[in-house]
Amino acid sequence: MTWNYSKKTTELFMAAVSGQPGTHLGEIEDADGFGEHGSIACGDALRFTFRVDRHAEDPKLDRITEARYLTFGCTSAIAASEALCAIIEEGDFTPIDALQITNQDIVDYLDGLPQAKIHCSVMGAEALEAAVFNWAQKRGVDLVELGIDISHDEQEEGRLVCTCFGLTEPYIKRKIEELELESIADISNAIKAGGACMSCHHTPGGLQDLLDQVNGSKPTTMKGLPILPMARAPKAQPPIEMSPFKFAKKVEEIIEGYIRPQLARDAGDIELIDIKDMKVYCTMKGACANCMGSQNTIKMLVEQALKDQIDQRIQVIEV
Amino acid sequence: MTDTIYLDNNATTCVAPEVFEALTPFLIDEYYNPSSLYDPAHGPAEAITASRKQVARLLGKARPDEILFTSCATESNNTAVFGTIAANPDRRHIVTTGVEHPAIFSVGEDLQRRGFEVSFVPVDTDGQIDRVEFVRALRSDTLLVSIMHANNETGVIYPVEELSRITKETEPSIIFHTDATQTVGKLPIDLRGSFKNVDLLSFSGHKLHAPKGIGALFIRRGTRCRPFLLGGHQEGGRRAGTENVAFIVGLAKALELAMENHDEDEARIQAMRDRLESELVERIPYLEVNGKNAPRLSNTLNVACHFIEGEGILFQLSAEGICASSGSACTSGSLEPSHVLRAMHIPFSAIHGSVRFSLSRYTTDEEIDKVIEVFPGIVNNLRRLSPYWDVKKNEPRPEAMEMLTQTERPQ
Repeated sequence: MTWNYSKKTTELFMAAVSGQPGTHLGEIEDADGFGEHGSIACGDALRFTFRVDRHAEDPKLDRITEARYLTFGCTSAIAASEALCAIIEEGDFTPIDALQITNQDIVDYLDGLPQAKIHCSVMGAEALEAAVFNWAQKRGVDLVELGIDISHDEQEEGRLVCTCFGLTEPYIKRKIEELELESIADISNAIKAGGACMSCHHTPGGLQDLLDQVNGSKPTTMKGLPILPMARAPKAQPPIEMSPFKFAKKVEEIIEGYIRPQLARDAGDIELIDIKDMKVYCTMKGACANCMGSQNTIKMLVEQALKDQIDQRIQVIEV
Repeated sequence: MTDTIYLDNNATTCVAPEVFEALTPFLIDEYYNPSSLYDPAHGPAEAITASRKQVARLLGKARPDEILFTSCATESNNTAVFGTIAANPDRRHIVTTGVEHPAIFSVGEDLQRRGFEVSFVPVDTDGQIDRVEFVRALRSDTLLVSIMHANNETGVIYPVEELSRITKETEPSIIFHTDATQTVGKLPIDLRGSFKNVDLLSFSGHKLHAPKGIGALFIRRGTRCRPFLLGGHQEGGRRAGTENVAFIVGLAKALELAMENHDEDEARIQAMRDRLESELVERIPYLEVNGKNAPRLSNTLNVACHFIEGEGILFQLSAEGICASSGSACTSGSLEPSHVLRAMHIPFSAIHGSVRFSLSRYTTDEEIDKVIEVFPGIVNNLRRLSPYWDVKKNEPRPEAMEMLTQTERPQ
């Protein structure tokens, strides 16, 4: 997968990382609007702040004069953050007008983004929205009165569909509608849902079901599960005269009472790892761990002692 | 663009000039199908025989008929898994690790969906396999154990000699496979000696300066394994398809070259890698070396830079002409960071910021100097942009400190 970023994306990224004047890196202290989106666990995160020129009488006429970002993310995430700030500063928007800016505007500003990177532009639009809601709260502007739906401002409650990125059913459905997503690939590209473990693609109530619910369903056929040949039973094990529990106790007893004291004379030690049927797995410790003869010790001392005192079929395996 | 500094040799390597020279006659002059009966076809047929002997000898005197030429290591791995499954229908349990190359890891996941039992043995934070968990996973009715010889992302080397012995002592009929793609030509492999308990071994040419499109699979005599590709008598009926004569010759030549100056090359490569590692650790705060305490391939360095994203690092490296790779989500094609780093429980403040440098015998000291010179600045550039980083103190912001130890998603 080679880079296929536009020239504009590359330029914005390189300008940002080299700290050229005119870029929008940073965080405004006591910002009028503050919004975040994403998290470090998800692989990208954006902190977006803006300052307004406050209107003396009507806060709705505030003008955004300055926008800044801090971004953890890839080349396109950083370029999209730059684009967002540039669009806002160039447009002389009121915060309410700024809500009209969509992820598509960011994509257009960048002269396009690769399909798999669309979520970087969505992240910008989401952080902007959060910041505007934050501004409205601070300035006492009632967005609902203006006919703006802020119901999804609060962390959208609902059934978790994509557990990898923590995205809920109402959020995903809203995004399918808003961004006109038509396939599971579209969803992953835009909002990342279903892009990691992929287990939510076709489960009941999963992404395909949500697409069907929003876009109208297409008939699907459920193929039957393949019929697999039955595994042949493993070959019968030789019978052990005692129960596995008693056998294990006995092995431990002999290691504790007989083998360990012997090894201790040479500053060595042994640890019992596991027992499977007649096979006893041990690790040599202390001086024995690095001893060239540890294999011999295992065979001559440990295995022989267990054979003599429990069963001749016992085999000791060094781990 | 400056000259290319290629430090992604675990992804692929350049073809050695000697290899190129050895293989071209079989593209133009001796192009005949080695299965044909007329005289001119003798040359190509002989070349394959000689190459097979050569490869077998260099892997510790294996028998020539134990070497199968394939198209790539992925084909070798698929053949090993599906071939043994087909030949042993009464067994349905497979043991592998959580850090295999996708050519085994994804096959394992797919087999689970088909109803096989697959145990993925976990690794510790250094990427080393947990031996106790390995022993617990083994069963007397296990069909196949597949464990890579060294990890492609971190370079961590697995004790295949020991693990194959434990496997065979548990039950001799369990088949042991190792993916040695990253180690053939780099680490000693003695199929009659220390690797005597290994039944199947995969590798490819393009990791050791042969071309892409050639691989090999060692199948020890007596191992039950059915062919994966059907439709011809080539390779003793075990792999149908006209032999890629030129590249087979190239693979044998590349292996010979790798062995020829092995000790000298390795010492030089390791010195460069170690210098790169210690310089970066010294110059960059909050930089982790992944797999630090485990034995590692001498050509591989995988570092994780806390609180920045790897793709932005690669992009800037690329602008300096430096080619490297990353396990971050944005570079993987999926939206998840590398399964290898996740299996190692690398904290998520660092997992997205991993960068792998992999050297070859063609790497020079000047190239390493250049990386040491530019890499700290690149990391700094991105940290200035990061919402988790305090630029003035050059350390994480206080509220981000706790992320340094978080390894699970908060969900």
